[in-house]
Amino acid sequence: MDTKKICERCVLPESRPGIWLDEEGVCNLCREYEKEKKDGKKGISLETEFTKMLRNYKSRGEYDCLVMCSGGKDSTAALYYMKKRYKLNPLAFMFDNGFETEDALENVKNAVEALGVDLVYFKSDFMSGMFSRLVKAGSGAVICHLCSLWYMDLTIKTAARYGISLVIAGWTKGQSREGIFPGCACDNAPEFSAMAEETGKFLDRYCKNDPRYKDFPRSMEEVLKRARKRQRCVVLSPHWFLPFEAETSLETIKKELGWKTPEQSYPAKTTNCGLNFLSVYLSLKHYGYTHYHAEMSRLIRQGALTREEALEALKVNFGAERLAPILKKLGCGPEDLAFGKESI
Amino acid sequence: MSMNILGISCFYHDAAACLLQDGKITAAASEERFNRRKNSPLFPINAVNFCLQRGGLTAGEIDYVGFYEQPYLKFYRVLLSHLRAYPFSFKNFLATMPDWLRERLTLPLLLKNELGYEGEVFFIKHHLSHAASAFLVSPFEEAAILTADGVGEWATMALGAGKAGQIRMIKESHFPDSLGLFYTAITTYLGFEALNGEGKVMGLAGYGEPVYLEKLKEMVSVKPDGSLRLDQSFFGFNKGSRMYSGKLVRALGKERAPESKIEQRHCDIASSLQKFTEDVLIKAANNLYRETRLDKLCLAGGLFLNCLANNKILEHTPFKEIFVQPAAGDSGGALGVASYIYHSLLGKERNYVMEDACLGPDFSRTRIRRALVNAGINFREMEDGDLFKYAAGLILQDKIVGWFQGQMEFGPRALGNRSLLANPCNPGMKDILNSKVKKREPFRPYAPVVLEERADEFFRIKQPSPFMLIAGSVREEKAAVIPAVTHVDKTARVQTLSRKANPRLWQLIKEFEQLTGIPLLINTSFNLRGEPIVCTPEDAVSCFKRSRMDCLILDNCIAER
Repeated sequence: MDTKKICERCVLPESRPGIWLDEEGVCNLCREYEKEKKDGKKGISLETEFTKMLRNYKSRGEYDCLVMCSGGKDSTAALYYMKKRYKLNPLAFMFDNGFETEDALENVKNAVEALGVDLVYFKSDFMSGMFSRLVKAGSGAVICHLCSLWYMDLTIKTAARYGISLVIAGWTKGQSREGIFPGCACDNAPEFSAMAEETGKFLDRYCKNDPRYKDFPRSMEEVLKRARKRQRCVVLSPHWFLPFEAETSLETIKKELGWKTPEQSYPAKTTNCGLNFLSVYLSLKHYGYTHYHAEMSRLIRQGALTREEALEALKVNFGAERLAPILKKLGCGPEDLAFGKESI
Repeated sequence: MSMNILGISCFYHDAAACLLQDGKITAAASEERFNRRKNSPLFPINAVNFCLQRGGLTAGEIDYVGFYEQPYLKFYRVLLSHLRAYPFSFKNFLATMPDWLRERLTLPLLLKNELGYEGEVFFIKHHLSHAASAFLVSPFEEAAILTADGVGEWATMALGAGKAGQIRMIKESHFPDSLGLFYTAITTYLGFEALNGEGKVMGLAGYGEPVYLEKLKEMVSVKPDGSLRLDQSFFGFNKGSRMYSGKLVRALGKERAPESKIEQRHCDIASSLQKFTEDVLIKAANNLYRETRLDKLCLAGGLFLNCLANNKILEHTPFKEIFVQPAAGDSGGALGVASYIYHSLLGKERNYVMEDACLGPDFSRTRIRRALVNAGINFREMEDGDLFKYAAGLILQDKIVGWFQGQMEFGPRALGNRSLLANPCNPGMKDILNSKVKKREPFRPYAPVVLEERADEFFRIKQPSPFMLIAGSVREEKAAVIPAVTHVDKTARVQTLSRKANPRLWQLIKEFEQLTGIPLLINTSFNLRGEPIVCTPEDAVSCFKRSRMDCLILDNCIAER
């Protein structure tokens, strides 16, 4: 695995053109953040702002909002807060790309039962063909990125079906902090620009002419553009506005909802679908970092995490044996990853 | 269902918010601590956000919002004053009108826009808010109430009485006859900032003699009941950029330029002003006693942040006990209006006494550790007992200890949760504090925090002073023992500390007492000059890094230089 020099402050490696290190070994993103903070441009998002938006977007129908649930700690906590803290009636929505783990499914089931929340569970292996092609082509497109495009598209369509204008995600302060309507910060962020570009190229080259994927959105911008034509909607995360540390939310859902930490996950102590391991492996191979590195780097800059904590959580804690069944399910083999040449 | 009332004060100075839940204050904080703008007048959205989070509420769960003054009445006064002073007031008029029209007169709309709150809003008169802020959270069932500050709507000083949950206002003095504005005018004449320099003038007073008292009396005539009349030819409250006229300069001599050398004349003027203020307040308090015959007195309004005057009232009036809540200035108006709605308007019984000023945010150990690590500061963690011993040892070695723990205090005083602690026995400690951290004017004294049970051995003070709002005189035999907290006039702005009020600080002082026999420490606010007191661990770490503070203790995490 490529061992690039990483930023002295966060955990991002040099990855031009988006990320570069200065003579002190500090990346341009940390420098930029430092400058903006000094100029007073980095305020905190107040919960009063969030509750005001809840009032504006709360639906008048059966459900007040739709919560995207993956079974992970952050989305489970988001569901908890919408029900308990903001006293709304949320509809939980879980999307299974065919690779969801038993741990994740169990966590969602426990949460909706404890909270008395309705759940829409949608399972499809629609994207397996696309992922298989991605692996075999050795593309730099990121599996999680492709999946999130479809997941978001599906979520907004599902919200529309139930007359819901408010979609709640479990994104942390390290993930996109723009209310996802009218714009999405991810595609344009320097950390993700190379990944987004590769995703676009992959979709152009391999999926454009496939009848199954001809309508597949090319970017998050496109997902939002399409949605905007259909409905009034906003996607927000309570974690952007709440004052709690991640540990506090974790303790709460463990205690109140019986949330369990999966035995194996990446990053450590999270819950992600099986494909995540493959996505992480490929991202590290192509870019030397993953979207988790980007997220945690933002958290470090905000002071919500230390570099040491992030480095510990981001240690690769799985091997080839974890990838083999996933590859098999995609109709691929270890040779597609050229295991003989590199090891993780 | 609990009843939730949000009190707000803002738009002039010291904006703040306070949450009252079923009659108990569950959160209160000044906006300056969050937006880091000293004396911030802005709508306290950060403080409101904190109060709601602390109470576990959304705006939709607030039953009532109270505002600490009546904007239309105040606007009428402002318009009238400008008209009277026209054309000299025209520039001021143009400068202030946009704020009035944009937000001050449209608070309900602002609440809707900022919070989504669309419920009922009560507007309570400024001095009634002050009165309520002192009496309704005091330990007294019945008490006289005296309020005094610059100006509210029209009132500048008010006399009243409280019984159970009701307040009766007896008498008011009106603008422009204001002791507070007079104090501020002379403060600016002496080269200090209005609304920020009054405490400095109080400190400076100790170095002078009241030789200008008669001159001041020419400017302000005082009746035996403490009411006063300002000769407006000496002042210019609405006319231009300064609060005093050329006539005042001719009477007192050339005004002092900010940051310029302080002469004996300036000290004498400060001393005269202090004496004048004390005399007026004593007269007013005596008059209030005659009117009410009550032996308990509640004080509120910015003037009662003057701890020397508070002590004089205690010494020279028949009142046996006084109560001044820690946010006696305008920030306390938020507390007052919320309490007034609950008790006086809704008729709910009083069930809360403000024994503690720690009503602000607190932070987890995880957050503290991260703040230190992310700032690249090496630290270690110690158990309480060891930590207190160790910290006491450092203080004895003349180290300056930044002491950060628990909930932030409400009001302008650091009372042991956001404090700098130092050795009171070293005569040079004031200079060390000034050179390493505080950068204060050298004439300003530092205050002691003393174990309540031993306060009397060191200070002559008629009652406990838990909020550092009553000055005591240092006993003659002790002045040399605690020189760093003994002001030149042998007074000290004492904070008496009970074990119950702050057990950790109490134990730390106890350790210092074990080492030295001295049951007190210097306690000054944890901030740099011109900045608000720190609020978050990140603020504390930043202050530590930008100063030459020797040691930073955040809960049980200790970092040393």
